[in-house]
Amino acid sequence: MRNPHLADEDLVRSLDKESSPAVLAHLNTCPLCRERARLLQNTLEHFVELRASQRLPPADFARSALRASLENEPETAPLWRKLTMAAAGVALVIALLPIVFERSASAGARPRAAITPGEVRPISLEEVCRSRDAKVVVQGIPKEIQNAVFTAYGMKPDAGRFEVDYLITPDLGGADSVRNMWPQPYSTTWNARVKDKLEQRLHQMVCNGQMDLPTAQRELAADWIGAYRKYLGR
Amino acid sequence: MKDLAPNALLAAPAEIREIAAPRSPEDEVIALFDEYRAPVLRYLISCRIPLPDAEEIVQEVFVALFRHLRAAKSRSNLPGWIFTVAHNMALKFHSSGKRRSQYFEDAPAVLDRAESRIDNPEQQFTANEYRIRLMSVVQALPEQDRSCLALRAEGFRYREIARILGMSLGSVANSLTRALARLSRI
Repeated sequence: MRNPHLADEDLVRSLDKESSPAVLAHLNTCPLCRERARLLQNTLEHFVELRASQRLPPADFARSALRASLENEPETAPLWRKLTMAAAGVALVIALLPIVFERSASAGARPRAAITPGEVRPISLEEVCRSRDAKVVVQGIPKEIQNAVFTAYGMKPDAGRFEVDYLITPDLGGADSVRNMWPQPYSTTWNARVKDKLEQRLHQMVCNGQMDLPTAQRELAADWIGAYRKYLGR
Repeated sequence: MKDLAPNALLAAPAEIREIAAPRSPEDEVIALFDEYRAPVLRYLISCRIPLPDAEEIVQEVFVALFRHLRAAKSRSNLPGWIFTVAHNMALKFHSSGKRRSQYFEDAPAVLDRAESRIDNPEQQFTANEYRIRLMSVVQALPEQDRSCLALRAEGFRYREIARILGMSLGSVANSLTRALARLSRI
């Protein structure tokens, strides 16, 4: 036969007034279950009383210690200010991105003026314009000169990702000297191929009489990337 | 103006004062500390954390509460929040094994310090006997049952206990029933 009385769980729930109407109805009619509920209730009360009588160390010291740590808490900005600052930070990064990107893209693409100011040899306009275009292929630079260039830049000779190139192209009167050469990285946006285009363009302009030779040489020596933008757009 | 009761006008300045001079987060946390330090400390001790470590955890709990309030996070059910954090720190304390002292306060030590409101020596003896037995049965309870019972003794409802301990409502009911049934056999 099924036990007609309530389970302890129902009785404990009834102490918390979390019982169903059926449980309450049973409690109203069953003295046995009421007795059991009272026992559980008393047990809980004894336990609560025992805990409450537990003597704890006074709070004074702990309170002043807490106050001291709260005062030492570093000031933090409220959430909205943090968000605003984060947004401003993101905006700044986005704004700077082109500049940073540009910097890294052209890192090493420009020679150092102190080491490679650019040097010319005497050449006549006629000599320059004998060929229709500047020669794209640079004649082989002797190994010793290449090594000297690397050394001047504090790099190990044969550093993999670099090629020693003329600053002022020989076709426009650039000299075969270390002061007219620098290690140009292969991998930047502003690489030798791009520079070749500028050289062809300047060569055309010089030979068409739109620019004199010294200006073309200066443009290459001073800032060839700036010159590219100036004469080839972008 | 005609529609306003005279009382409404009188009430206004008080409200304005309250808005003009809000309590600093420090004062608010200290007030909550005064209210909940003892319950939290008792709870941590019932989690078998030595008193010096328990005091330290209480400090950490209220510093965390300070950060919580200052970050303008939810203020609903702060007592529940306080006990949840305390419980998690207690778990962390046990799992890290960084117990500072080996000293553990057992039932008799706690009872030595228990205040007694009974004057009659004979009654006092019986009462103490009962308390000692009660305390040792509590100490022998499974950890989860003990935690549920301790939180119930601090006045939390099933739902809140379940949330603080991360248990289901059914498990809380089981634990509480088991614990009270055992204590009732003394």
